[in-house]
Amino acid sequence: MNSALLRHTWRSQRAKLAIVSLGLAIWGFLPPVIYARFGSQFAILLKSGIMPAQFARFGGGDVFSLSGSIALSFIHPIAIILTSVFAVGFSASAVAGERQRGTLEVALSRPISRQVFYLSLLAASFGFIAVSIAALVSGGVAGATFAGVVGELAYRNLPMLWLNSVLLFGAFAAIALAASVSFDRLTPALGVALAIVIIMYVLDVLGSLWPAAEVLQPYSLFHYLKAKAILTGVAAPVDLVVLLSVTLIAMGWALVVFPRRDLAAPS
Amino acid sequence: MHAIETVGLTKHYGHRPGLVAPLLGRLRVSASPPIHALESLDIAVREGEIFGFLGPNGAGKSTAIRLLLGLLHPTAGRARVLGLDTRRDSVAIRRRLGYLPSGIALYDTLTGEELLDYLGKLSGRPAARRAELCERLELAARTLKRLVRDYSRGMRQKVGIVQALQHDPELAILDEPTEGLDPLMQRAFYGILDTLKAEGRTIFFSSHVLSEVERVCDRVAIVREGRLVALEETAGLLARRRRNILVRFTGPAPRLETVPGMTNVEYGDGYVTARVEGSVRPFLAAIADVAVVDLTIEPARLEEAFLEFYDRSGSR
Repeated sequence: MNSALLRHTWRSQRAKLAIVSLGLAIWGFLPPVIYARFGSQFAILLKSGIMPAQFARFGGGDVFSLSGSIALSFIHPIAIILTSVFAVGFSASAVAGERQRGTLEVALSRPISRQVFYLSLLAASFGFIAVSIAALVSGGVAGATFAGVVGELAYRNLPMLWLNSVLLFGAFAAIALAASVSFDRLTPALGVALAIVIIMYVLDVLGSLWPAAEVLQPYSLFHYLKAKAILTGVAAPVDLVVLLSVTLIAMGWALVVFPRRDLAAPS
Repeated sequence: MHAIETVGLTKHYGHRPGLVAPLLGRLRVSASPPIHALESLDIAVREGEIFGFLGPNGAGKSTAIRLLLGLLHPTAGRARVLGLDTRRDSVAIRRRLGYLPSGIALYDTLTGEELLDYLGKLSGRPAARRAELCERLELAARTLKRLVRDYSRGMRQKVGIVQALQHDPELAILDEPTEGLDPLMQRAFYGILDTLKAEGRTIFFSSHVLSEVERVCDRVAIVREGRLVALEETAGLLARRRRNILVRFTGPAPRLETVPGMTNVEYGDGYVTARVEGSVRPFLAAIADVAVVDLTIEPARLEEAFLEFYDRSGSR
């Protein structure tokens, strides 16, 4: 990895990172508060049959328990969108965006190999995701504390929740960066990465709301983050292995394709 | 050792190697024909010289430079830069050179100073020449505190020149370096080149501005449609060029048709125009006894040599 490139990337993204982290912390703060205030009322509503039971299983989260409410904050579109600012937005533009702007050739005319360039950007991307997810976890803890339900939270499970989430969005970042090194322009790279995230999210949500579509869930990376199970102490190491494998495959693609690509003058 | 040496360096875009082309044919997918951006380029740039790489837009200059930097992979042939192979030792080569791309794109969200710091750190060598370069190009410290996005085209070009040379590279590859510079700054830039040359640095200078190549380069290579059409000393190229001559006289007209090297001789009322190729001595001897009122010998311009090469290679 190249420390100058890493520092430059962190510096250039610091304002965005602060905003995204703040947003995720505020978002993470809300579900435990909602659970503490309205959880029992939602439970009564559900038992009455007014709401379909599937709504209580959305993404494996719910608002009837603290672990369920925190899990909901991880799989909710708001969290996905905010985390995707780095997992998809930054990663997809990291190489293709520089290529399109013409700054890539200025950087690559320095003594830095394409492999090192790629790995430095991937490391930066994982770093941004790690900080963002830490903010989301912190927001959840703060919300639980504020609502007076923190006693229901098993702190020892939080590092695993953080790690599993980082690996999930890290896998998306690796895919987006693999797309980024494969295209000369930002739009197709961003389009491919975004399409993969959206399709996988739809598969997971469909599977969680519609029993007949459950068979589709294993094809979604979101399936490999079971936040509620982790918070109740039932972590599945195989989920980490799957996410890590996807990351390694994407890395392998990028490390093979990027050094072999011709970088002609930007048009 | 040569600073740059290319042997049969070739680059075709859209070239599909191995099984891909037959497969496309079998699937009846029509592939667009490959573009021959560079065709068997053989050049050798001596250490310590300023080497001009001349040709119009699209001639293959930038492709050749990108091959030297390892940004492109050659279809055939090989290149060595500072004794190192461009395919195997690309990183080691880039540690020792400075590069100014044509129409350089800079990081707009950084200040000039931050940009130079960042690119300097990526180079891995101290920015030993930055202060001197900034002074000669009139880049004040106050200017460097401003964001790059607020810079004019000329300012960007100056920063581009500084980033390419600030770490005192052994070899500088400069693609259209005076683009956007005003005449004063162009002169300052030529002064920088003189200094670098005096210190033994090698400069590979790509341009389509003939006058500046003529002014600064020791040797010049001319490329056309990806092919090398000429490579020789700038002085030699100029010396062999035709000169336009106008002689005004009183009395009998000199007879110039039979003078060696003279062509296009035309007589008017009290004057004669002609072209002379090579040495002007026979012409001067021929007019020694003529009552010359005025004599104009237009200096040979590289532009004419350039156009002549193009005419010749185009008519082949």
